[in-house]
Amino acid sequence: MDDTLSGTSLKKSFGKSLLYSLPMILITFMFISGGRPDFSNPSSALAMMITFILVNVLYFLMHYTGKTDKFRAILFIIFALSLSFTLISNMLEMRNSMSFSQADILECKIPFCHLVIPMMILPAAFTKSIIFPGSILGSFAGIASMVVLWLVATLVLGRGFCSWGCFYGGWDDGFSRIRKKPVIKKISDSWKWMPFAVLFMVALTSALSLGPTYCDWICPFKAVTEFEEVTSVASAAKAGVFISLFAGLVVILPFLTRKRTQCSFLCPLGAINTLSNKITPFTVKIDKANCSECFKCVAACPLFALTQEGIRNGKVSVFCSKCGKCIDACSRNAIHYGIKGVPAGTMKKFSRNLFLFISFLFMAVFSSGSIVNTFRGLLDLIF
Amino acid sequence: MLESFILGLSTGSACLLTCGMVMFPYLMSGSSGVKRITIDLSVFLLTRMLVYALLSVAAWYLGRAFFTNQVVRSVVPGILYIVFAGMLIWYAIDRNRQKNCPAKFVTTVNNRKLIPIFLGVVNSLGFCPALYLVLTKGASEESLAGSLTAFLAFFIGSSLWFLPLPLAGKIKKKKILETIGILATGLAGIIFIIKGLTSLIGGIING
Amino acid sequence: MKKIKIIAGIAWAFICLILIIVLFPGLNSFSSSLAMLPFMKINPNYTGGEVAQSLVMDNCTIDIRRPVFDGLFGERQKGFVQIDWRGEIPAEIIDTIDFDFDNNKDFAISINSKSSETILLPFNNKIRDVGISTPTSYGWAVRVNLKK
Repeated sequence: MDDTLSGTSLKKSFGKSLLYSLPMILITFMFISGGRPDFSNPSSALAMMITFILVNVLYFLMHYTGKTDKFRAILFIIFALSLSFTLISNMLEMRNSMSFSQADILECKIPFCHLVIPMMILPAAFTKSIIFPGSILGSFAGIASMVVLWLVATLVLGRGFCSWGCFYGGWDDGFSRIRKKPVIKKISDSWKWMPFAVLFMVALTSALSLGPTYCDWICPFKAVTEFEEVTSVASAAKAGVFISLFAGLVVILPFLTRKRTQCSFLCPLGAINTLSNKITPFTVKIDKANCSECFKCVAACPLFALTQEGIRNGKVSVFCSKCGKCIDACSRNAIHYGIKGVPAGTMKKFSRNLFLFISFLFMAVFSSGSIVNTFRGLLDLIF
Repeated sequence: MLESFILGLSTGSACLLTCGMVMFPYLMSGSSGVKRITIDLSVFLLTRMLVYALLSVAAWYLGRAFFTNQVVRSVVPGILYIVFAGMLIWYAIDRNRQKNCPAKFVTTVNNRKLIPIFLGVVNSLGFCPALYLVLTKGASEESLAGSLTAFLAFFIGSSLWFLPLPLAGKIKKKKILETIGILATGLAGIIFIIKGLTSLIGGIING
Repeated sequence: MKKIKIIAGIAWAFICLILIIVLFPGLNSFSSSLAMLPFMKINPNYTGGEVAQSLVMDNCTIDIRRPVFDGLFGERQKGFVQIDWRGEIPAEIIDTIDFDFDNNKDFAISINSKSSETILLPFNNKIRDVGISTPTSYGWAVRVNLKK
C-alpha cells in the first residue's frame, strides 16, 4: 500500500493498465452482449461492438494516463446525448411528436426518471401510492427499477451519482467544457443551497397537489426529452419555463461559468444525493502535506464543492460529486480519491482503483443500453 | 389554498429567521416554564389569525368592488401578482432585509401581557410582499369563504415555523437554514410570477 | 481506534463493490420485490381509480370507475369520475351514467369521436364539468369533474 505519491505516479504501464481493465472488459462484455453475441442483425452487432470498445478504451485510458475526469466526461456526455436520442426517437416513432398526450397520462405510459424520486417520498408515506403516471414494472423506465438503481447508486456513490450515473448531468457538464476560461468568475457561494430550497418547495407542492410539480413546471430536461402537449395558456407557460431553464442553466450559464449550474443551483435530487454523501464509503481527500494551496482545484470544481478555506482546513464539502476534475487539476496529487476512515495521503492508488471500478462499472452498464440504441439508430440512418 | 399555504410556509421560514431573533426574547421574556411559553405563543398565533381573518374580509370586499368583471378579475390580479412577486424576489435577494423587521418596535410596549398580542398584530400587519400576494389572492376569490381559506392556509403555512420558536436559539446551522429559507422565498416569488403571467395572458385572451 | 476505522471503511467499500456487481443481474428480482411493497402502486388521481362497474354493450364495454377524491390526508372537496369506453367506438357516443349506483342517472354525455367534441348534461349539483375527454389505445376515456 503506497503512502504518498507525487507528480504523475497515478499513471500505469500499458500492460498493468490492461490487467486492471480486464474485469471491466469481462463484465461489460457480459452486459452489453447479454452473454451471447448476436450477429444476425449487423447494425445491432456493430453498435454493441462500438459501445463495448468505447467504454473499455475509456476505462483503460483512466488507468494508463492517470487522469479521470476527461474520460469519465466523454462517456457521461455520450450517455446524456444517447438517452435523449433514444427517448426522442422512441416518441417520434410511436407518437410522431415529442409531446405526450392526455391519453398517455391516463394510461400511465410516461417514462419515469430519477428526478421524480424527491417528490414521491411524502405522498408515498401518506397515501401509500406513487404520484406519477408511469408503470411500476415497465420494461422501459419502470418506476421500481429506477428507484432500485438510484437507491443502490446513491448508497454506494453518494453525490457521485450526479457525475457517474445521472443521464441528464452530461448536458451541463458538456456545455461547461466548451470554453477554456470562464467569463463569469465570481458567483456567490449561497446559491449552492438553492437545490435544498427547490427540494423543499417541490416536495411540499407535490405532496399537497399529489402531482410531480418539478416535472410539471420546472424540469429543464423536458426540453430534450418529452413534455406536455401545448393546448392551453398553462401548458404554453410550462413549455416556456422548460425551454428558458434549459437555455439558461444547462447551456448559457455552464458555457459562461465553466460550472454545472443546473446541477448546482436547481436539481432537487442533487440535494438528496448531497445528503447521501455522508453514507458512501468513498470521498475525495486533501493531503495537506503535499498541498501548495495553489487553489487550482477550487477553480476546477464544477459543483462549488471546494473552497479556499476548505482546502486550508483539508476539507472537501458534501457537495462533491467525485467527478475527478480537481484531482486531475492537481499536479502534486495532493487531492485524491479516498475511503472514509483511511487517513488522507494514504492508500491513494488502492482507493482510486476501487472507486473507479465501482463508479465506472455502474455508468458503463447503466448507459450501455441507450448508447447501443443510439449507435444502432445512427447506423440505420447512415446505411 | 395550496398556493397560499406554500407562500406562508416558504416565506414563514425567512420571516422567522429574520424576525425570530428580535421577537423571541420579548415573546419569552419573564416566562417561567413550558406553560407560560405555550400560552404566550398561543395568544400570539391567535392574534395573527384574527388579523388575517379581518384582512381576508377586507380584501374580498375590495376585490368585489374593484374587480367588476371576469377579465378585470383575471388581468388586475395578474399584474399585481407579478409586481408583488417581483418585490418578494427582491426581498429575498436584498441584503438589508433584516433591518426591516417590524417586531423591533416591541420595545415601546411596557405591559408584559400585551406583548404577544402586540407582536401578533405587528407581525401580521408587517406589510411584506408575501402578504400583498395573499391579499391579491383574497381579493380575486369568487367567495368570501375562498378568501378566508386563502388567508387561513397562509396563516397555517407561516405559523408552522413559529411552533418551534422556543428552540430557535439552539439551532446549530442557523445560517444555512436562513439561506435556504430566503431562497425558498425567492422561489415562491417565481411561482407567483408564473401564476400572474398565466392569469394576465388568460385574461387578455378571454378579453 | 484508527485501525478499526480503516478496516470499517474498507469493509464498507467492498460491500459497495459487491452491491454494484449484483445490482444489474439482480435488477429484475430487486424491482419485483420493491414492487410488492404496499406503497408501490400508482395514485388513483392518475389511474382513474378502480373499475366499479362494467357495462357490456354491443361492440364495446363501458367501465365506470369509482369517484376519486383522494388527497394527501383524506378526501378533497373536488374530484372526478372516469368513464372508459373499450372496444369499437362509434362515431357518436351518447350515454347516461349513474356513477354512484343509486339508481338515479347522474349525467348524460355525448361525445363526437371524430371531432372530440364532448357535451355534458348534469342531472345533479355534484357534477361540475368535463375534465378530460380523449381517445385512448383501448377506446375513449372521459373524466367528469365532481364536487362533494
